[in-house]
Amino acid sequence: MKKVAYYKGCLASLSAKELDTSTKALAPKIGLELIELESVTCCGAGDIHEAEPDFYLHLNARILSYASASGADTLLTVCNVCTLNLRQANWQLVGDAELRARVNENLVSVGVPAYERDIDVRHLLWELAEDEGFEQLKAVAHKGLKGLKIAPFYGCQILRPSRILGFEDPDRPSSLERIIEACGGEAVDYPAKLKCCGFPIIQAREETALGELVQPIEQAVDAGADAMVTPCPLCHLSLDAWQSKLKAVTGRDFKMPILHLSQLIGVAAGLPESELKFRRHVVSVKPVLEKLDA
Amino acid sequence: MKVALKIWRSNAETGERALREYEVEAPEWVTLLDVLDVIKDRHDGTLAFRKSCRMMICGSCGMRMDGAAVLACKTRMYDMVQAGHVPVISAMGNLPILKDLVVDMDPFWAKFKAVNPYLKTGYEEPPPGREFRISQKRMNAIQKEALCINCGACVSECNAMESDPDFLGPQALAKAMRFVGDPRDAGRVDRLEDLNGKNGIWQCTRCYFCNERCPKGVDPRDAIAKLGAESVKEGIDRDMGAKHAKWFVTSAKTTGWLRETELVPHTQGIVETIKQTRFALALARRGKVPPPFPPHVAKDVKEARLLYDLVQEQGRAGYEGIVQGEAALAKLAHGYREGERDPYGEGSFPRPYIAGEEATAS
Amino acid sequence: MEGAHDVLVIGAGCAGMRAAIEAFDAGANVALLSKIHPTRSHSGAAEGGINAALGNASEDNPELHSYDTVKGADYLGDQDAIEILCTEGPGDVYELENWGAVFSRTDDGRIAQRPFGAAGAPRTAYAADITGHVLIQVLYEQVVKRNIPVYEEYFAWKLVEDGGRCVGVLAWNLLTGGLEAIPAKTTILATGGAGRLYVGTTNAYACTGDGMTMALRVGVPLKDMEMMQFHPTTLAPTGVLITEGCRGEGAFLLNKDGERFLKRYAPNAMELASRDVISRAEQTEIDEGRGIDGNVMLDLRHLGAAKIIERLHGTRELSMVFAGIDPIYDPIPVRPGAHYHMGGVHTDALGRTTLDGLYAAGEVACISVHGANRLGGNALLETITFGRRAGADASDVAFRTPEAQIPDSAVRDAEAELRELLDRKDGERPWKIRDELAETMHANFGVFRREDQMIEQGKIVEGLRERYERVIVEDKGDVFNNDLTQALELGFLLELAECMVVAGIARKESRGAHARPYDFPDRDDANFLKHTMVSWNGAGPKLGWRPVTITKWQPAARSY
Repeated sequence: MKKVAYYKGCLASLSAKELDTSTKALAPKIGLELIELESVTCCGAGDIHEAEPDFYLHLNARILSYASASGADTLLTVCNVCTLNLRQANWQLVGDAELRARVNENLVSVGVPAYERDIDVRHLLWELAEDEGFEQLKAVAHKGLKGLKIAPFYGCQILRPSRILGFEDPDRPSSLERIIEACGGEAVDYPAKLKCCGFPIIQAREETALGELVQPIEQAVDAGADAMVTPCPLCHLSLDAWQSKLKAVTGRDFKMPILHLSQLIGVAAGLPESELKFRRHVVSVKPVLEKLDA
Repeated sequence: MKVALKIWRSNAETGERALREYEVEAPEWVTLLDVLDVIKDRHDGTLAFRKSCRMMICGSCGMRMDGAAVLACKTRMYDMVQAGHVPVISAMGNLPILKDLVVDMDPFWAKFKAVNPYLKTGYEEPPPGREFRISQKRMNAIQKEALCINCGACVSECNAMESDPDFLGPQALAKAMRFVGDPRDAGRVDRLEDLNGKNGIWQCTRCYFCNERCPKGVDPRDAIAKLGAESVKEGIDRDMGAKHAKWFVTSAKTTGWLRETELVPHTQGIVETIKQTRFALALARRGKVPPPFPPHVAKDVKEARLLYDLVQEQGRAGYEGIVQGEAALAKLAHGYREGERDPYGEGSFPRPYIAGEEATAS
Repeated sequence: MEGAHDVLVIGAGCAGMRAAIEAFDAGANVALLSKIHPTRSHSGAAEGGINAALGNASEDNPELHSYDTVKGADYLGDQDAIEILCTEGPGDVYELENWGAVFSRTDDGRIAQRPFGAAGAPRTAYAADITGHVLIQVLYEQVVKRNIPVYEEYFAWKLVEDGGRCVGVLAWNLLTGGLEAIPAKTTILATGGAGRLYVGTTNAYACTGDGMTMALRVGVPLKDMEMMQFHPTTLAPTGVLITEGCRGEGAFLLNKDGERFLKRYAPNAMELASRDVISRAEQTEIDEGRGIDGNVMLDLRHLGAAKIIERLHGTRELSMVFAGIDPIYDPIPVRPGAHYHMGGVHTDALGRTTLDGLYAAGEVACISVHGANRLGGNALLETITFGRRAGADASDVAFRTPEAQIPDSAVRDAEAELRELLDRKDGERPWKIRDELAETMHANFGVFRREDQMIEQGKIVEGLRERYERVIVEDKGDVFNNDLTQALELGFLLELAECMVVAGIARKESRGAHARPYDFPDRDDANFLKHTMVSWNGAGPKLGWRPVTITKWQPAARSY
């Protein structure tokens, strides 16, 4: 079992609890022992980075420090934005000894251990897309997706900026497709696969955000997808919870089910509803489940 | 080597578009621009594209390759040809197409001009007939923004601008940051006020396409974040985007975790929140509207509060908080890892020497 | 618009924009005209810096700067103009900084200056290694601030001379098509150089000598045309520029054995000797078999990664993209490439040409402040100082000039000429003529020149000009027809090549960039301390001479 420090982030704690439960249920089956981090806070999303960048750096340094203190070599995330934030802060600290010294001094003075031993931040998506994790995935997805057509939606901040994320080619990624296929599904391609769901501005600039959101949803529907999958709970909120707002914009009721990555794999692994918690979705996932049972 | 390209041609008069394939002979060292030149010279003189310096500094040759904006003169063809890949070349996005790969740059320059892109001098004058005295460190705050060559690659890929063409956009905002961060500019606060409008800072969707596409390393998204930080520092926070961002700060230092439900009224105000009641109820039924009470407090959140206070004292508020990390992040950009190779090691070019003297190593 | 502009500036690089700003501030109705957007101008590709005797890095004064410039010019520079350049220079550079130019700074916050070739003191003010880019940006910002109108993507084709004065220009509107007549009381040419005459050049595609040929065709003489500077450090095969700033920061030039060969050619200044000396040294090493694939090696390794990344970041990027070399680990293969044209439209120190109402400033002009060889960092300075002076004088003269009108006949004749070119169905595509011109100029009129090769080149150019009469344009449309404008540019280059060869043959000595080691290896002040002057007499070039102005410094032996 690979020990990883598990940072679930804000959404998985509250409005996207289904992400947390499905991840926790899946983890032991794919060889991951989750050490859940407790003395942590929100990573700040793009917001604290924009409003109080020095605070952002310290909050993330604290998360990295506690993760490192757990003894694990990997800090596991389940959200794109957390991944970018933590990796960016990590690069800043690891690459600038003076900056790190200053931040550590501050951490220590408030009772947080200094961030000394480097830790690597990785999204669950990366753990499962290659090497040992991929083998585990194939082994656990025994129930399979029975050829279900799944449209992958990556979400900006697991790919860009590629210098900080660096897992795969930001313009030709394949991790989601490989996972879909390994689970027995059929990956559906469509132009807006790598574009923005609009979530960061869905409250401050709703019209602009909906103009972005409509693209992946409409294209996935028109490409014949049964469902979409995304590694980011913020994208999930846009795609799922805000999907109904597209009716006013387009006149179409899309009814496209949106799955978290851990749920997609969980379905293929035969996890029960009590752990997948599909009932928490705004757009019903029933059509997908019915197709699988058929 | 044989190079094959597909190019989206468009008729200037009728606006008709068609995808044409070309295959030409070219030396191995060619760039995309060189190949376009060969096509135009020897095969089809009607192919229209802009070019000038061919060395990544004038910004003329922005265009899309496989849907992603690049500088044609920076794009080497060798690897692509070896891999057997035939790229599709088209005009940049988000700008009207004039002909083939030539876009109408007027909307681009209009936004550039809209941010008053020139130094506003004011109360602080330099000593007569001399330069302003400023440290290199202070000027480094706008080092990246000063690199911009106005090529349009960022604008081409901007997702927010695609949805709302009135968005000021990454190029104009980065240019604005070049002045907001310039210690000689006296218009900082006025600029920030202007940039906090409907189509300014807070309309950026954070897709990071601009950072990804910029051929010069300007990182416009980070420039926009710097403007946001500086706005908040100056107390310019009437925009919903600013309020949204500040609530994250408040959450982090009170409960640690984001106070999701309260985020809505704190961003949009009570009136708008009430308007959204029906929508909110649909979400609430699914448990997507976590009740704010009891508050979901993270363990040891006091540490976060203390950190917040410390950070306030230490005064790296505003864009400085982002600039402080740039040196480390630059290492990722220029791809140099210390100790990777010995420049004078085995197989390297000999050490320099002067004939008749001892070897001069360095 | 109604009526003529007071001042029309053709070319919107550093010289053009500075001239327009000055004219605007003087109250003139001024417009810029450029075949490319102003910020695309090749001034932006300048890297190393702009010279001025600021004294921030060491003791310095305008007289020292003047002396270095005079000597660097191999005594062919007009010393009164040089003294103006060096005296007014510091004020111009401070003004740019006050406008917001993002210069690199010294430890005490002043404009940083680095050593550069053939300079007695470090006086090259710089912005990392993107100084030209920084200056183009600040000048365009000032143009935008004043809302100076720009005829953007207008291709200037013919100057119009009427009643003994220049009354404006005929230009092809590249965006929508069609020839337009733009009258102006005074016209300032700021169109840059003609590096595209050579196959290995640092110059952009746009550098086709347009202004020089336009002036030539209205009877204005061109001066010192044979003086083309070959920059010592350009990348093969295209000629992309690697800045002199590398050597200013301490880089070495090595032959294939790792020897700093400049010890044998310029033992004191070594890598910071003047450019013509270094180019000749490199060419000799290459010709005598001590090069690698026609290059010598520019070694930055000893500078260390930190300095390279901080001060020469642009250079590293260029080297990695265009040569596949990371200079932190490996030396960069470089060789001489055509870079800067000292010669050009003959002007005085106010930018006035021999034609009333016509001015020239920047690389297109030859005052001459650079004589037979230009110091690195002096070109950017020239654009600002003499761009300003031309703008000031042109607006002053314009205020005292009656209306200017372009005769309909000029427009009709030009349109007919264009129609004939566009309608031509059979003929040759321009690229062959263009490539042959560039290759033969490189071979026969390069760093080292021989009488027989130059005479041969003259014949070759004449042959190419004949073929050019039958050149065809494939694009017959109106919108963005740069097939047409590129064909017209070739025409400009061909006439300039003829002028250069005639001047080169006539100068029977070696001076500065004009090196004739086989027949006239020495400088001959007794007979040739004078400028060549080439005019066009309808059929071909006509040669004349003009004395050099000496004020303080008598010609002396020039060694580094």
